[in-house]
Amino acid sequence: MTASEDRDLVARAVSGEDTAAFGELVRRHQSHVRNFLRKLAGDHALADDLAQDCFLHAWDKLQSFSGRGSFIGWLLKVAYTTFLQSKRKSKRYAEILESAGHVADQESRHQVLPDDEVTDLDKFLAVLTEEERAIMVMSYACGLSHREIGDATDMPVGTVKSVIFRGKEKIRNSFDIKDHQHG
Amino acid sequence: MTSKIINMAEKIKDAEDRLLESLFESPPLADDGFSIKIVRKVNRRLWMRRLTLPVAAVIGGAIAFKPLTGLVSILSGLSTMIPTELLSGAASSIPQFQTIVLGAILLGVGLLSMRLLEE
Repeated sequence: MTASEDRDLVARAVSGEDTAAFGELVRRHQSHVRNFLRKLAGDHALADDLAQDCFLHAWDKLQSFSGRGSFIGWLLKVAYTTFLQSKRKSKRYAEILESAGHVADQESRHQVLPDDEVTDLDKFLAVLTEEERAIMVMSYACGLSHREIGDATDMPVGTVKSVIFRGKEKIRNSFDIKDHQHG
Repeated sequence: MTSKIINMAEKIKDAEDRLLESLFESPPLADDGFSIKIVRKVNRRLWMRRLTLPVAAVIGGAIAFKPLTGLVSILSGLSTMIPTELLSGAASSIPQFQTIVLGAILLGVGLLSMRLLEE
């Protein structure tokens, strides 16, 4: 899976509206995007729906991929934007419900995993803010460089570094991470 | 050169970074028809986009037909107000004069109908 192959596929998809080339891009990157969104949303079904929306947005905006950075970096930017838009929409929906007199049960809106399904990673992610979570996942799970994360989140590289530093500190302060094993 | 140094600095990871990487690592998710579903949706979108313009043109044409016929009759009424001597004089000097006038009227009507459709 090389960057130049991705760029070729993007060029094919854009120039001739080649959906097969786009399908290949989806096949290559769906795992990263879905895992990224699962970690952000904490709900697998919602994350997969968001991943579908993300790829449809990516198809619409494919011409805007300049080829300067990696395609996965660009794709995660689209995924993060899709996630934030969905959060905004659900927040607005909750506000409408509340103003209409419905007392929405917080627990029912956020799928809570049973205790035995809560992993160390879930515990770590829980102490982070949404922004920190997104940046830490991009860095440690997706292997994006600080520059790529900066591009994806519209943040200067310095800010990305400080968010990662802060995230690590929070995890360090909340848990003794040396005692944790993978899982 | 500077960016290379920065990249190298980023790649130098301590034990904590490696541990975090292993904690954040997830097994790759199987495609299980996910990409096929996306491509199907994209294809549907393409068809919708290709169909939208002709369908809108047909609907717009149907809506604009009546006002357009009225406009054409008004224009033809206006053409009778042009003095016949002028028309015959122009027709003798320019052989295709009538065709040109008709073309100009059609062009005007076409432009107007395009604007109506756009609106």
